[in-house]
Amino acid sequence: MKKISAIFAIILFGIQAFLRAEAAELVFEVKDASGKPLPETVIAIFDGKAPAETTSGTAKIIQKNKQFNPGVAVVQTGAAINFPNEDSVRHHVYSFSPAKKFEIKLYSGVATNPIVFDKAGVVSLGCNIHDSMVGFIYVVDTPYFAKTDANGKAVINVPAGNLVYQVWPAGRLKFAIEQNLKVDSSEVVKVNLP
Amino acid sequence: MKNISKWLDFRHIRTRLTVVILSLVAVQQIASLVPLKISINQHSYKIAENQLAVGERVYENLLQQNSSAYQQSAKVLASDYAFREAVATNDIGTIQSALLSYQERIHAEVAYYVSDDGGTLAHTATTKEASQKINLDLVREQYTSGKLRFDIIDGKPFQLIAVPVKAPIVIGWIVLGFQLDQSVANQIKQLTNLDVTFVQKTSSNDWKIVGGTLSADGAHELVDSMNPMVSEQDAIHQKTIENDSFHIKLRKLYEDKKGEQLFVVLQESVTKYVQELNTLFLTLLVLTLAGISLLASVIWVTTKKMVKPISELTENVTEMTKGNYSQELTIDRRDELGQLGRLFNEMREAIQERTNRIHRLAFHDELTGLYNSLSFMQGVNAAIHSHAPLNHAFSIVVLNVNRFKPVNNLLGRDFGDDLLRHVGQVLKENIFSPSDIVARLDADEFAVLLQHSGEEKASAFVANVLKIFHEPVFVQDQPIDVRTGIGVAVYPSHGLDEESLLNHAETAQLESKSKKLDFVVYDQSLEVDESENLTMITDLKEAIAKNQLLLFIQPKIDIVTGEAIGGEALIRWKHPVKGMVFPDQFIPFAEQTGVISDITNWMLVRACQVLHEYKQRGIKISIAVNLSTRDLNNFQLPHQLSLLLSKYHLDAKSLKLEITEGSLMQDPERAQAVVRKLADMGFHLAIDDFGTGYSSLAYLRQLPVQELKIDRSFVMFMDKNSGDASIVKSTIDLAHNLGLRVVAEGIENQDVLTHLGLLGCDEGQGYFIGKPLSEDDFSLWLSDWHTKHSATAATYDLPPTHLSHLGKQFANFSHSKPN
Repeated sequence: MKKISAIFAIILFGIQAFLRAEAAELVFEVKDASGKPLPETVIAIFDGKAPAETTSGTAKIIQKNKQFNPGVAVVQTGAAINFPNEDSVRHHVYSFSPAKKFEIKLYSGVATNPIVFDKAGVVSLGCNIHDSMVGFIYVVDTPYFAKTDANGKAVINVPAGNLVYQVWPAGRLKFAIEQNLKVDSSEVVKVNLP
Repeated sequence: MKNISKWLDFRHIRTRLTVVILSLVAVQQIASLVPLKISINQHSYKIAENQLAVGERVYENLLQQNSSAYQQSAKVLASDYAFREAVATNDIGTIQSALLSYQERIHAEVAYYVSDDGGTLAHTATTKEASQKINLDLVREQYTSGKLRFDIIDGKPFQLIAVPVKAPIVIGWIVLGFQLDQSVANQIKQLTNLDVTFVQKTSSNDWKIVGGTLSADGAHELVDSMNPMVSEQDAIHQKTIENDSFHIKLRKLYEDKKGEQLFVVLQESVTKYVQELNTLFLTLLVLTLAGISLLASVIWVTTKKMVKPISELTENVTEMTKGNYSQELTIDRRDELGQLGRLFNEMREAIQERTNRIHRLAFHDELTGLYNSLSFMQGVNAAIHSHAPLNHAFSIVVLNVNRFKPVNNLLGRDFGDDLLRHVGQVLKENIFSPSDIVARLDADEFAVLLQHSGEEKASAFVANVLKIFHEPVFVQDQPIDVRTGIGVAVYPSHGLDEESLLNHAETAQLESKSKKLDFVVYDQSLEVDESENLTMITDLKEAIAKNQLLLFIQPKIDIVTGEAIGGEALIRWKHPVKGMVFPDQFIPFAEQTGVISDITNWMLVRACQVLHEYKQRGIKISIAVNLSTRDLNNFQLPHQLSLLLSKYHLDAKSLKLEITEGSLMQDPERAQAVVRKLADMGFHLAIDDFGTGYSSLAYLRQLPVQELKIDRSFVMFMDKNSGDASIVKSTIDLAHNLGLRVVAEGIENQDVLTHLGLLGCDEGQGYFIGKPLSEDDFSLWLSDWHTKHSATAATYDLPPTHLSHLGKQFANFSHSKPN
């Protein structure tokens, strides 16, 4: 199984290299309605084709200081995520979101199995013990996605062509903006949320 | 009761003082109590208002607390993992059943679950209307603001509580509805003491009570006044509901687009505060009244002390008005009242003294100290009452002092008074017992009541008295004859009441006087019968017609010359049955009935005839005719007389007219008019019986008279009685001073005639000179007298001056003598 995954990764890397000549680098600068750079905003870009491959990598969301870290995570459909507990107290992580409903009952340390998110959508994470703990996992059905940094910037390499991008501010269960974008070369996309 | 009303009378100083002071105090008290009452009312309103504000806060707090509590418990459900799971998995059935069981647990009336995107996913409402009720925006707003949220569901007021369901972000809402019903209202009332009513305005603009603490009637009244109150929502309204005064505040809880509104009405009863303060006020009022009452008693007691002497004075004066002056006032004070009391005492004594004097005057004769006629009558009356049961007799003796008036006039009032005192003394000395009464009835009339005395005893008394008066009495060392008329009447034979007894005694007295008897005991025969009077009048008229009347003439001489100068015409009635009747017996009746005019007329005619006759014979005489009262009141008389004079060719001077003082007195003006007319015609007028009447010389002086005739009673005994002589002398002197001639009547002896001559009396008449004579006898007397006179004239014992004077007269007489 590990071998197969590795092979897939190599193949994917090869395709990427193949397409590099036609690739472009998009820099998103997201600002909120008041013009402030908006961090932790998810941007997903769709090229209209079925994703060439699904990521099988494992990500992790750590619970530390009674917080999810990262509070906002973006993964491609099919990604598995571990929820290691680094707090001394136990947590009970759950989600009632239709995209992925699960719970990891009271545990400490690393839960036995990572959770696989095989359905696109927003997953709200909560802890049944600590109401204040809120986290979001944006599961996107595309390999082109990123999350803005503290300056509201995100960089995504995409193939040129007619694309659609979505902007999901943190905590939103629905994208705030969905926009067509014809990409010829690298450019800066400025997004101002309404 | 009578006493109270007496003191309530405002005329009493004490009452007035008390009322005035009390009024002042009362006004002052009212002036302080009224503002107090007003401020009490205001204060009670203020308290009610404060209480209302407090109540409103408490009510809000209570609902808020309820709301928080409900919210807390709702949160438990919202965070229940299983519930959230059911929500997340859209398990409607589970959600609904969870809501239902939870609703029951926390006593909510309705529960909803609403997803955060708006759709109601589950509810426990039983009606369709209720199930569609939830507005998510309002729900969110309630949750975030924490404000109270109300709604009307199925026509009932509800408080809504919303809590979010988080997974972990908000995915939906639990909404709980708590009905605002009676129990909520009661709960509020319990805490705040306010009446709470939830009133709904329906979409059709009707007011509807949806819960509250008021009774049905009260709620009804409240509903009726909602519209005006709603128009001024923020104000505090004052309303009387079920006889209780309320302060009312409205709060709008809910309003929707259809016009439905929900109000909570908070009512604070003012009455209880007013009552509490009123109790305080009443206490004050009672204390005030008690104070005023105390003051009243103090004033009453104090003024009693002040007014007591006045009351005593009042009582005393009351006694005085009843005639009791004996009670002495004892006001032992040094102030004005004490002084008043002392003055009252002095006044009381003075009044007592005066009263006694008045009493003495009323019942005593001041002059003689004897009883007066009033007390004499009372004594007689008492005697009748004491004698009648015993069948005893008592007597009344009436004594009249004759000729008293001239004595008084001529010898002086002092002398007259002493005479009367003397007579009274004599009577008093002769009574038989101390209970006999001696009284002076009139000027010169005395009466004696002799108890238990019949005619015999009375006669004995009279005899004793007469014995004393037989001798001249000495008054002011002057001897004077007391001539009396005495009449006696005996009870019960001469009268049964005091009036008739006294009248009869007087009748007897008059009889005694006129008949010159010592005394007369009353007898029926003394009374002139009325019927006899009438007969006599008829007879008298007949007598005139049938010439039964006779003219008699009593001769008159000139005392100085001794010459006969004529006479006084007198009348005699030759009654066919009774024989010769004297004028005393018929003249008074003639005067009473008016027949006297006829008689006078007859007399005048006859006198004129006689004069005419003598004139023709050459003898110059004058004849005097008496005129009566009626004649003097007859204005025709002068005319009649002038007719007579001309008929008989007579000179007015030959006819003398004699009038009495009494006849002038009847109608003085009329009489004087006639008299003046007569005098103007030249008649010679004479006052007859001078001294018996009551006129004074001063009065007579005004009359045109030329002559005065001294009554015979003074003349008759003037030789024996120096008092009489004095009277005659004084009369003559006075008359001469007035320019009058004086004629003396009743000359019965030489001594008197001589004395009169010495006193300067002008003319004389009397039995010594000549009795009344018939015409023929008079004619004889005239010639006789002339003869006799010539012989005796020189024997007059006259002073020389008089004698020489006499001589002249004689010479005149001789000349005038006819051939």
